[in-house]
Amino acid sequence: MSLLSPRILVQKFGGTSVDRPENRALAARKVIKAKNAGFSPVVVVSAIGRNGAPYATDTLIKVLRDVDPQVPPAPHEMDMIMACGEIISSVVFAHTLQTMGYKAIALSGGQAGIITNPEFGNARILEIRPNALHKLIEAGYIPVVCGFQGMTEPDEILEPGSITTLGRGGSDTTASALGVALKAVAVEIYTDVDGVKTADPSLVENARTLDICTYEEVAEMAHQGAKVVHPRAAEIAMDHNIPLWVKSTFSDLPGTRIANSEESTSTGGDYGESMRYRTTGIAHTGKVVFIRLETGEVTHKSEIERQVYRMMAEAGVNIYFVTFSPTSISFAVPRSLYPIARDLLDGMIVPVRNENQVGAKRATYYIFKYEGGLDLAYRVQRPLLMSVEPDVEIVDVPATAIENCTVVSVIASNHRRIPGVLMTIHETLTKAGITVYQTADSEMSVSCLISESDVKRAVQLLHERLLEQ
Amino acid sequence: MDSRTPQIIPNVTFERERGVHAIQVTHDVAHAVMAIDSEAYPTHAAGVQFLLRALNDAQIPLFLIKLHRTAITAGLAGVYLPKLEEAMAREGIRVKTRRDLSLIIVKAALMRETSGVMVQISDALVAAKANLFQTGDSHNSVQCLIEADRTDAALNELCKTFHLEASAVIESPLTEERAR
Repeated sequence: MSLLSPRILVQKFGGTSVDRPENRALAARKVIKAKNAGFSPVVVVSAIGRNGAPYATDTLIKVLRDVDPQVPPAPHEMDMIMACGEIISSVVFAHTLQTMGYKAIALSGGQAGIITNPEFGNARILEIRPNALHKLIEAGYIPVVCGFQGMTEPDEILEPGSITTLGRGGSDTTASALGVALKAVAVEIYTDVDGVKTADPSLVENARTLDICTYEEVAEMAHQGAKVVHPRAAEIAMDHNIPLWVKSTFSDLPGTRIANSEESTSTGGDYGESMRYRTTGIAHTGKVVFIRLETGEVTHKSEIERQVYRMMAEAGVNIYFVTFSPTSISFAVPRSLYPIARDLLDGMIVPVRNENQVGAKRATYYIFKYEGGLDLAYRVQRPLLMSVEPDVEIVDVPATAIENCTVVSVIASNHRRIPGVLMTIHETLTKAGITVYQTADSEMSVSCLISESDVKRAVQLLHERLLEQ
Repeated sequence: MDSRTPQIIPNVTFERERGVHAIQVTHDVAHAVMAIDSEAYPTHAAGVQFLLRALNDAQIPLFLIKLHRTAITAGLAGVYLPKLEEAMAREGIRVKTRRDLSLIIVKAALMRETSGVMVQISDALVAAKANLFQTGDSHNSVQCLIEADRTDAALNELCKTFHLEASAVIESPLTEERAR
C-alpha cells in the first residue's frame, strides 16, 4: 500500500450510544476527534435504543408480528424489517455528522459490500467487497454503515440479492469484519461502560476496567454472560490480528485494549507472564434447570443416556453441564425449554432387548418418573405397559429437577495447569452457604451451577476472593 | 501509482464456519473417582471441600471435575496419578483410578445454542467402541474422556460424523512441561 494510504479506524456505536440526540452528539465527537487526528473513520451503528424504543429492533419485529399473531412472518420479510432499525440509525447519525460540518454518507450493509449467505436471521458473512468504501474514504466521506446486516448474492429473481441480518452480536461482527476488510489500524467498540470489566458493575461495586486482555479472554467472558464484545467479533479480530478496543461513548477514559496473547504477555509491567495464568473476571449468565435421572447401576446405562440425548436433540432442547456418574445422568437445560424437556422425560420409555442373558426377561423397559407430582404421563403409561408387555422387566428411573438455577463462571486462562482453582471457588461459595450443584470447566473457565437467588452474593464473593485480594 | 487513484482491494473471506470445526486430542490422561464418606463430614459440601483441599495440598491440577452424591470425579494428566494415589492414601480417601485415557475435545462455535451435537458425539463413540468415562461441555467444546486404545477409532468416527479432514485434529499437551 502507498504511504499515503488512509489510516482507517472503524468505530462502532451501540444502541445506548445513539439513542438520544445528546448521546449521538457525543458519539459524533468521537468520530470527529479521530478524523482530526488524521484517521479516516468508518462508523458502524446499531439500531436506536432498546426494548420498546420506537425504532429498536424488537419494536419493528412487533409491528410485523402484530399483523396476525397466529402467522409467523416469513424470514425474508423479518430480516427486511429488522434491518430498518440500523438504516434509520445510520441515516440519523450521518445527518448528525453533516450538521456538524463533515461529509458523511449512510450506507446499508449491502452498499458497504457485506455479502452473506442466505441464512435469514443468523447470516454468516462470506466476504466484503470494500471498493465502494475505499472510494468514499478517498473522496473524504465518513461512511456510516448499518451494523447487523448484509446482503446475499444476486439470485435468479432478485438483483441485487436479499437483505439479511447477522443475528446476535451482529453490529460488533460488522465492525470487526469491516476492520479486517479495510485493513483498519484498529476497531473501537463504543458502549456505555468504559471497557471490559472484571465483573458486572451493577453487582460488584469494585469491578475494575481491564487495561488489556486477550481475544480469547474477551470471547470467553462474552460467552459466559459479560456483555462486552460479541464473541463472533472477537474471533474475527483474533483470526486476523486486528487490534480491538472497548471504550465508553460517555467518557474519555482509554478503555480496554484487546490483543493476541503474545502481544499481551510481552507488554510487561503489570501484565507480562502473569497474564498467562491470571483470573480475568467473574461472569454470570443463564436461567437453567438442572435435571438428574437416577438410573442406578444398571447395565443399560449408556443406552439410556443416548436415548435421552437423542430425544432432547430431536426436540431442539440444548443440554449442558452433562455429567456421567455410575448411578445417574445429569444435565442442565435452558429454563425456557424446560417444559419441553419435562414433557419428554415424564413417562419416557427406553426399551432395551436383553440378548443372551440367561434367566433374564426378553427385554427391560426403563420408564422415567418425575418426582414431585409431575408424573402424569408416567402414571398413565406404566400400568398400560405392564398390561401389554407382561414378558418384560419394567424399571422406574426417578427424575428430579432443580429449577431457578444459574451459572457463575470464573474466567481464568490456563487454570487446568494450576492446582486449587476449583477448591478456592468451592470454598468461597460453600463458606457463604451457597450450594454448588455441579461444576463444568473448559480451557478458559470454571463454571458453577448455583441457585439464581445466590448469584449476586456469589459474584461479589468470588470477585473479592480472586480479584481483589 | 497516483495515491488518489482508488486501489483495487481484494475481497476478504473471513468469518469462521459454524458447527464443529476442529478436534483436539490430549494423550496420557487419567481419571479418578474419589469417594466422599458421608458419615465423616457434617455436610456433603464439607466432604467435597476436604477432598479438594487434599488435592490442592498435593499440587495436582485437575479438569472435568464433577460433583456426585458420594464422590468427586476428575481428569488429570497421567504423570500426576502416583501423586494423587499417594495423597488419597495419606488422607484415608478411597480412590478408584483409570490410566491410559485420552481427552478428546470437539470444538464448535456456539455449542450451547446448538442441539444434537452431544448425541452425534455419543453415536460416533459407540461406533468406535470407545467407552466414555466422563464428559464436559462449554460454549465452544464438548470434552470426552475415552480409553487410549480407542483414540484413533474415535477420531476417525468423529471426523466422519462432522465431515472434518484429518488436518482438523490437533494434538495438545496438558502439562506445562510438555508444552515446552
